[in-house]
Amino acid sequence: MVGRLMGLTLLVFGCGGRPPAARAADPLRIAAAPVPADNPTTDSKVELGRRLFYDADLSINGTMSCATCHGQRRAFAHGTRTHPGALGHAGRRNVLSLANVAWSRTLTWADPRVTTLERQATIPITGVEPIEMGLGGAEHVIAERLGADACYRQMFAAAFPEEGGTIALATVAKALAAFQRTMVSVESPWDRYRRGDTTAMTAEARRGAELFAGTAECAGCHAGPFLSDGSFHRLEPDSARRPDRGLAEITGNALDAGRFRTPPLRHVALTGPYFHDGSAPTLVDAIGRHRAVAPAVDRLTSAEMGELVAFLTALTDSAFVTDPRYQMPRRFCGRAR
Amino acid sequence: MRAACYLVVVLGSLLSRPTAAQTAPPDCRPAEPMPPELGAWPDRAPLAAAADRAMLGGAVLPVGRAVDASLHRTPDVNFVSLPEQPGGSVSFGGMFTVEVVEAGSYRVAIGSAAWIDVLVDGAAVLSTAHGRGPGCSGIRKMVTFPLPAGRHVLQLSANAERTLPLLVARVP
Repeated sequence: MVGRLMGLTLLVFGCGGRPPAARAADPLRIAAAPVPADNPTTDSKVELGRRLFYDADLSINGTMSCATCHGQRRAFAHGTRTHPGALGHAGRRNVLSLANVAWSRTLTWADPRVTTLERQATIPITGVEPIEMGLGGAEHVIAERLGADACYRQMFAAAFPEEGGTIALATVAKALAAFQRTMVSVESPWDRYRRGDTTAMTAEARRGAELFAGTAECAGCHAGPFLSDGSFHRLEPDSARRPDRGLAEITGNALDAGRFRTPPLRHVALTGPYFHDGSAPTLVDAIGRHRAVAPAVDRLTSAEMGELVAFLTALTDSAFVTDPRYQMPRRFCGRAR
Repeated sequence: MRAACYLVVVLGSLLSRPTAAQTAPPDCRPAEPMPPELGAWPDRAPLAAAADRAMLGGAVLPVGRAVDASLHRTPDVNFVSLPEQPGGSVSFGGMFTVEVVEAGSYRVAIGSAAWIDVLVDGAAVLSTAHGRGPGCSGIRKMVTFPLPAGRHVLQLSANAERTLPLLVARVP
């Protein structure tokens, strides 16, 4: 079983730049995550991105930061079906975890055009479908607010010397992307088990791992070290009554209606509720709703379902969700905030 | 290009709408009665929040009494403990002293989505429940905390408006 798990296909990308500066080492020999050539990772950029991630001045009324939805305790996801925006508009889709997001070929639930974290970061900040942080059309306040802070001016100058320390949406997005690329999580019990620690997973979880990779037919889509093929699938019959058309909203192809990206499963025990609309409250519910693509889930006994859930729970890297390197910084520029 | 067109239309509409649902719409019809413990919600008196620890003695919020809390600009607030969501420079926050006579579960109800912390001996208490208030009540958020008897600090942060309807109620 160990061999089978270790034999999962590793995702390998063509790299356009240097690997993340802060956390490049990977004990599972996962290929380095791609980094855009125009946004090489530096410590200054990561430090700035971390501060920005927790700064609610990136929302129109100062009430929402990235961390409002992407909370570390939940592996940078959120525990509600959807999260309303800063102005009270209803959220549209469930908040995705940011763990290992540097390796994601596509980002968001159903937009294959969003392939870089730099692009993705602007969506909640300025997007209007739905309005989340509410700065669409008001991007100028970024320079006004952040530029009024001497420490921010210093941090932008250090992070973007080639751009003259410009404070703008583009540099904010680059810094946020650099910080998110450091969110590497490969210390779950499953990882330790794959490295040879036979005590890392319970017997129940090990049986669940076998089911996951075998008869339960999960690993066809939840593949690779991050347990996602990055592709778009339809789990349930589409219905015109569903307000969210998924991939079809982007492609315009009716055949893509109801197709959503396979979410990575690391930390899945912390990131519920599940599915693009948060409509599956528990892992058991979520597993059961895969019957159209994995009919075997209907044949699972309750004991086997428990084993599958035990395996999924073993994908939680508890060190990651308490790692102080990802927490809200308490000091900037040598001073307490 | 399509997004740019939307920006103009949507932001134009935003300028004319309230930024946060702090009161119920006038035509809203309640689908459920207000729980007795929240009965004081409509009768609110103004109460100024503390901006630092020294001001807490003058910002005492009695359990069961609803207030329209007057908050401070976030940069002017020195929280006793840095909130998980401190809010940006254009947001508002503040603190109150809450005296709990009898240990139990206490619900903090507010008219916005502000961040709520209750500090016991300086440390934030983990909440046990959260949700929205009854329909049409104007209560947008309720968070329940298990509290021992004593004087505790209620911190409100990341609020969009300077004033905030607020009630701390004992959970029956």
